[in-house]
Parts: sequence; structure tokens; C-alpha cells
Amino acid sequence: MARIELKNVRKQWTGATAVERIDLAIDDGAFIAVLGPSGCGKTTTLLMLAGIYSPSAGEIAFDGARVNDVEARDRNVGIVFQSYALYPNMSVLDNIMFPLRFKKIERAEGEARAREIAALVRIDALLDRRPSQLSGGQQQRVALARALVKRPHLLLLDEPLSNLDASLRLTMRTEIRRIQRELGVTTILVTHDQIEATTMADRIVVMNGGRIEQEGTAKDLYERPETLFVASFVGSPPINLLDGHVAGGEIKVREATLKVSGSAAGPIVLGIRPESLLVNASGMPAKIVAAEPMGREVLYSAEGALGLVRFIEPGAEARHREGQNISLAFHPEATLLFDKASGRRLDARIAS
Amino acid sequence: MSSHALPTAAAPRLRLDWPKLARRARLKRVTGRSALLAFLLIVSLPILLPYFWMVVISFTARSGGVSTQVLWTACAVIAPAVLIYSVVHIATPSRGLRLATALSLLVIAAVLLAGLVGRQLHLANYRFLWNPNIVEELRSKATAGGQFPSVWIAFRNSLALAISQTAIILVVASLAGYYISRFAFRGREAFLQGMLVLHAFPAMTLIIPIFLILHWIGLLDTIAGVMLVLATIELPFYVFVMKGFFDAVPWDIEMSAMTDGATRRQAFRMVVLPQVRVGLIAVGVFAFIRAWEEYIFVRTMLIENTNWVMSLYLFWVSDDIMGVDYGIVAAVSVFYVLPSLLLYVFCQRYLTQMTIGGIRG
Repeated sequence: MARIELKNVRKQWTGATAVERIDLAIDDGAFIAVLGPSGCGKTTTLLMLAGIYSPSAGEIAFDGARVNDVEARDRNVGIVFQSYALYPNMSVLDNIMFPLRFKKIERAEGEARAREIAALVRIDALLDRRPSQLSGGQQQRVALARALVKRPHLLLLDEPLSNLDASLRLTMRTEIRRIQRELGVTTILVTHDQIEATTMADRIVVMNGGRIEQEGTAKDLYERPETLFVASFVGSPPINLLDGHVAGGEIKVREATLKVSGSAAGPIVLGIRPESLLVNASGMPAKIVAAEPMGREVLYSAEGALGLVRFIEPGAEARHREGQNISLAFHPEATLLFDKASGRRLDARIAS
Repeated sequence: MSSHALPTAAAPRLRLDWPKLARRARLKRVTGRSALLAFLLIVSLPILLPYFWMVVISFTARSGGVSTQVLWTACAVIAPAVLIYSVVHIATPSRGLRLATALSLLVIAAVLLAGLVGRQLHLANYRFLWNPNIVEELRSKATAGGQFPSVWIAFRNSLALAISQTAIILVVASLAGYYISRFAFRGREAFLQGMLVLHAFPAMTLIIPIFLILHWIGLLDTIAGVMLVLATIELPFYVFVMKGFFDAVPWDIEMSAMTDGATRRQAFRMVVLPQVRVGLIAVGVFAFIRAWEEYIFVRTMLIENTNWVMSLYLFWVSDDIMGVDYGIVAAVSVFYVLPSLLLYVFCQRYLTQMTIGGIRG
């Protein structure tokens, strides 16, 4: 277990920059998620931590010691790949014991450790099988066991759940979290799925274009997104982002004019979460364009004074028909204002 | 007005004669398969018949002219058996029935053949295996310059050539293929294209320079010299094949092995190489057979009769006694073809995967 630090880390390929600049500190035993769209540099960062790639600039430190030049094989990092990367020519037991072959460990002791870890991830009945004889979920567990058997300083999970079906994903989410707590191993999860990130990790790092956009808890990211990117990436269904213009303490969005409290001027973007909009007689006129029942709630799209917005209402059945005229209001304290040019959040909101 | 209305009685027209359609589909399937089988039998005839004839001659021919009587008798027994089995195979999908038919036909054919031609079979043509003086015996003087060597010397030379060439090609092609597949280096594209050009280039055109080079470095008329020449000419193709196999091995497995504590070399040996096992077998078999059947280069570069390989032995045997004793020529041919045939039979499962490449998860 270790405290991990990345200082000004940068990775450049010939002709392209994968990671612009990463500054991050991860506490010993913490579980953090790196969340971002594909191509944002999250897997590159992961492979730099594992020692497969070496950073072009900056420093990676384990427990305060620089490890930039330490080879992958000496870093004692466990990694679970999206494809699981099991060795097809070996049995499950040999797969799990593979990392121990390179350490000075007696075979008997190694096997005992492998069996112990196999019991922890609940695959002790499958040890004689070949990877090709296992289901996706089982392969996933083998990969996890193999990463954990060497008692790693750091556990890296690269999109570990994306190859599983929906119900298995739910189970493995809980399982990985349980195992991580039990072992207390510092863990970094890389994912593009916000549900995975928010349910499993203590803290989330949102990455975009090779940079960290924001770091915080799921609540921070959802309620106080620092940038437009974070606001739009976190939350499902996505936040409504409406272009507007602030002048003289007033904001104009399409046909609506609203009062602003706080400092803001010029072109801005107004963000309203779908659950913050509600049908209320005191609101602005709008017309339902689409009603999509999603099980527990209904997602509506409405065209009105604010433009096209999405909002949700609890309930299994749609209460408003398509084409129906309604009146939409919102909670002013739940609105977010962003500077259009820089994309940063402004310290201002709609006044009630 | 009413003429524009949809006919209300349209529904009954949709009723189809299902049994008739099923009969038609069955008939189509049977005729299709019969046609295919007939086609395959006919096109395989010109390939199979010469081999079969060669085997028949080697076991039946006596000194002097050649008689086709045994061949036609054997064909008269085997052809109906094959036809009967084909009909049964098409008529029934039952595996048990097919197997029973095949077995009973085999027994009947064996009994018939034993009765009809059994007494004409003999092993005398294979006496070259223990008697090196066949040619002298038949013609009192060999044209190949003095004593004819034992066939086992030629066999040993061929084996040495084929095995060493296979070993060289396996080692070089797997390492080079891996390197080209995994590493970016300056001139990689040019290197790949160069290899393709080399392969497309007819090696025969190089025969005079190669002969001279071998002469100058003192490797002319040695097995080692021919081995180096053949390996060099064949390598580009096999490097290319192995690169394809390595391309199909995912990076993740290697990265995983390296984070698990393996060096790059250990990762290659313990994790990557087992994934391309099929490729290694295929390349090995082809390299072996290629060297076993080699004729032009060995004909040019091996001179002494103690350096003969099997193809040269066969050439000199037929050169000396063709027209005198076809039986011995046929027997030498059978003996020559046997090793590559056996290798092919045992490894054909892997060879068919060669073009596909890839790994199973």
C-alpha cells in the first residue's frame, strides 16, 4: 500500500500529446476513479503509473520516492485490463500464481497465497480450468485475483466492468468495493462510466483533453461542477445547458429574462439539472415535445421560453401528453452559471 | 367504385403447401450435394490416380516393361466402393449407418483385392533399402560415376538439411516477426516492403552468383552451404507469416506479464510464444517439407554422391534405370514421399489455421 503522487506529469508521443499535465495525490488506501471520455488520456496515465510508459515530463512518486525510472516489473503494481489479459495457455491457478514466479517465494507458499486470494474473489472452485472455459464475470475475478496476489502497492483497474452484462456489472461493482475495503489497497479505477465512478470510488477525478478538469466527491462534481465539461459529463440524463447573455443584473435566455445575483457579465451558459425543473403554474410556458417513460421516472422534452429543455418527473407513467401545453418553473438555488468563453463556473446564480 | 376496394378474399391465397415446399427443399439439397461430391471426385482423380499408380507399381512391377493390369483391377474394385459410399452418405444423415457402410465396403474391397491381385504383390522393388548396388546389378555399370551410394546416406542428408533449415527458420522468423510486429523503428515500412519484394523475386535468377559465392567461401558441395542458401531465400515469407501471428496477440497480455514481474524476454517466452504455437507448427512443417522437396539448388550445389539428398538420389536412379525397371523408381518415389506425407497428415489441423492466425481466448 502506498501514497501515490503525480507531479506535472506529461506524456507526449511524436505528433500528439496524450497527457497535458496531471497533478494528483492519492492517499494510502484510497479508492479513486478517473472519469473521462475516450481519448482523454486516462489509460495513458494508468500505464504511466504501471511503468509501461514513462512520462515525458514530471514526476511519479510512490510514498514520496520518485519511481519514473523504475521498471514495470519492479513497481509492484497490480493491473486489471479491460480485456482481462489472462494467459490463455495457463490454468486459472497458474494465472494467479504467475506474478509469484518472479518473486522468491516457495511454490507451496505461493499456492497457499493464490488459493487464499481465489477464495477472497470467490473463484476457488475454478482453479483447474482454462480462461477460455470461464464466463466474463469469472475471468474478471481471475484477473483481479492475479493483480492482488502480489500484494500490490497500487491496484489499477482499466475499465474493468465494461465487458460485463448489466446485472454482473452491478454485482462486480459491489464485489470490487468489498475486496478493496478488505485489503485496504490503494486503488485507481479508470472508467468512462459515471455510475461506476460514483458508486465505487471515494473521490473522482474528471479528465478531459489530457488535463484534470476537477477532483472531488460525487456530490461535489454534481452540485458544484467547476467547468462546463464536468457539468455536462456528470449527471444522467444530462444537464440542460442554455446560452444566455448577462447585462445589468439581468440574464436573457431566449425569450426569458431572469434576475442574477452575484458577479456575471457578457455571454454565459445557464445550467439547470433535469430534476430541478418542475411543472408549476407559476413558471414559464412550454410545450411537451416528447415523453419517454424510463421505469421509475419519465423523461420529458419541452420547447418553451427557455428553448428546448429536458426534465424528469417521478412515476412510471407519463402524466403529460406530447403536444400538451404546460408551465415550467425551476429552483433558483439549483441553477449554475458558466462563463461561455472560459467554460468556468461563475460565482453567481439566478435570483428568486 | 367497388373495383378500387381491396379484395377481401386475399387471405386464402396466402395459404401455402408446406409439405410440397419442404419436399422441394430436400430435393434441392440432395441434388446440390450430389453434384458437389461428383465434382470433387472427378477433379481429384487426376491428382490421386498418379500417386495410386506409383504405389501400385512399386509393389507389383517386375523387371522389364510396365503392366497396368493390377492398376485397373484395383480401380475396378475401389471405384464402385467409393460410389456406393457416396450414395449412402448423401442418402442418410445417420453417422452409424455411414460408418457401417464404410466398414463393410472396406472389408469387401480388401477381400476382393487380396483375391484378385494379392499374389502379384511383392517387396522386391524395395531392395534398394538394403542393397546399394541396384544400379550396377541392373546395368552392370552406373552412369553416376562409380559406386551408387546407399539410400540411407541420401536420407540422412535430406533429414539434416530439412531439420536444420526448419530450426533456423523457426528461430529467426519468430524473433524477427515479433520484433517487426511490436517495435516501431526507423525504416520499418521499407523493411516490410523489402521483404515482400524479396519474396516476389524469383530466386532461380540468383543461381549463378550463389554458386560462385559458395565456391569462393568454400561451402560449395556441402549440406551447410545449401542449408544457408535455402534458409535465406525462404525466410522473408516466414517472417511475414510470423509477424501476422504476433499481430494477433493482444498487447494487454504482454503488458500484464510485465507488470506481473516478467522481463520483456520472459514475457515473450512464457506468454506470447505459447499464443503463436499454431503459427510455429505451420511454419515449421512448411519449412521442413520445402527443404525435403528441394531440387534445383541441391542439383546445382551438391556434387559428390556422398552429399546427395533424396531428390538427387531419385533423379540418378531414374536417370540410370528408367526404361529398365520402373518398379524401383516407383519404390524410391514412395520412400521419398513418405516422410512429408506423414508430417502433413499429423499436422494438417494446424496448417489449415495458418492463414487465419490469431489466438483462441
